[in-house]
Amino acid sequence: MDTLLAILNMCIFPGGAFALLIGFFYKGLDRRVEARLQRRVGPPLIQPWLDMAKLLTKETLIPNTACKPAFLLAPVFGFTGMAVCAAFIPIPGVFKGLYNMGDLLVIFYLLPIPAMALMLGGSASSSPFGAMGFSREMSMMMAYETPLLLVLLSVAMLVGKSMAGGEWGAEFSLLKIVAWQQQNGSLGLNPVMIPAMIAYLIFLPGTMGVAPFDIPEAETEILEGPLLEYGGPLLALFQVTSSLKTFVVLGLGVAMFFPGTICDWWWVNLLWFLFKCVVLMLLSLTLVKAATGRYRIGQAFRFYVTVPTALALCSLVLIWAL
Amino acid sequence: MGLDKTLKKLSLRSPWLFRINAGSCNGCDVELATTACIPRYDVERLGCRYCGSPRHADIVLITGPLTTRVKDRVLTVWNEIPEPKVTVAVGICPISGGVFREGYSIEGPIDRYIPVDVNVPGCPPRPQAILDGVVLALKIWKKKLGLEDE
Repeated sequence: MDTLLAILNMCIFPGGAFALLIGFFYKGLDRRVEARLQRRVGPPLIQPWLDMAKLLTKETLIPNTACKPAFLLAPVFGFTGMAVCAAFIPIPGVFKGLYNMGDLLVIFYLLPIPAMALMLGGSASSSPFGAMGFSREMSMMMAYETPLLLVLLSVAMLVGKSMAGGEWGAEFSLLKIVAWQQQNGSLGLNPVMIPAMIAYLIFLPGTMGVAPFDIPEAETEILEGPLLEYGGPLLALFQVTSSLKTFVVLGLGVAMFFPGTICDWWWVNLLWFLFKCVVLMLLSLTLVKAATGRYRIGQAFRFYVTVPTALALCSLVLIWAL
Repeated sequence: MGLDKTLKKLSLRSPWLFRINAGSCNGCDVELATTACIPRYDVERLGCRYCGSPRHADIVLITGPLTTRVKDRVLTVWNEIPEPKVTVAVGICPISGGVFREGYSIEGPIDRYIPVDVNVPGCPPRPQAILDGVVLALKIWKKKLGLEDE
């Protein structure tokens, strides 16, 4: 019974279908708002769905020199990882996370899967641009995973320390972290956690691969890198993965920093959660994307290992000292 | 109406653009990149998006008079684009050679080698004209998808 429920959680709610619906809505909103910020009309909100319809009608071309199994499996691999990961995100007042825990460490291990799928697909495509995209994705990942780990650690340590009554402790169950915050106030309003929250906001554009950190898929430099040889349904699967990832990283941010609920009705809480995700997306992805160009890979790497890492360390040290 | 036809009809609202520079002076490319298409006159409202890979393209925008040096590469890239594709020649150069006409290194006009569907003349064309060219290309794409009878 538990297994069946877990599979349903991964395929329909909140992973899979639901996350896809929301993720595509966020992507459409993102493009629309970006257009409005640049004083133009912009595409309709359903544009991601139209793009997917178009890609489904197109044929799949596989390069002669590609490693065929890896080339075909890479997008499936990324999609599965994200669909499972979405089921681990608790929606406060609605859903408790897979197996009623939503473990931070599991999420940390599942989050890089789409990036790895991109790297796998890029290197399997046998295109030199794919290889370039691979190396760029690799360096970006090493740069932005460090601040993410530090942010997760500081959240876990703050809650764990408080639950252990000032002793050393770390709490990695996202469900307990959410419950703790609902009693003791959101972490996003805690002055000690503000540097960590800013570090998480900086982490978002890097992991989502949007400007100014869209370096691995830079279309003007390396022809979309790993995605160069993909077309048709396989490319659509990569877009689906990216939408799921939008839902996952935004949901994780809301669960870690602002998991408050406003009343007992589940659908109000659900809408409130989705609204907080939209605010987070506009702040960290859309505004930044509309206003910036693209960094070089060295600059982006240096930025990530200094600024967000330092901010997250700041929080960690404050938690340790206080 | 079958699923296939519905998908094709929806796909008309998501044309992805690919730019090929066939030895252009960059005038038309500047118009494409900075005014006509994305930032000012907004071709994105038609659902367009610039894609970096020829594999993803639906509408090809070619600028420049097709110089000898670049000819083979242009043909290779053009052949990489999956059918059905619509070719739009932007600027006067791909049509007649423009100011480069009868130059020793010019292989154009471009329709000697590539079937051009839409011509957008001008040196460079006005952004509105380029948008109009994309709209015309959409009509031709509809025909190529076999949705003409509606």
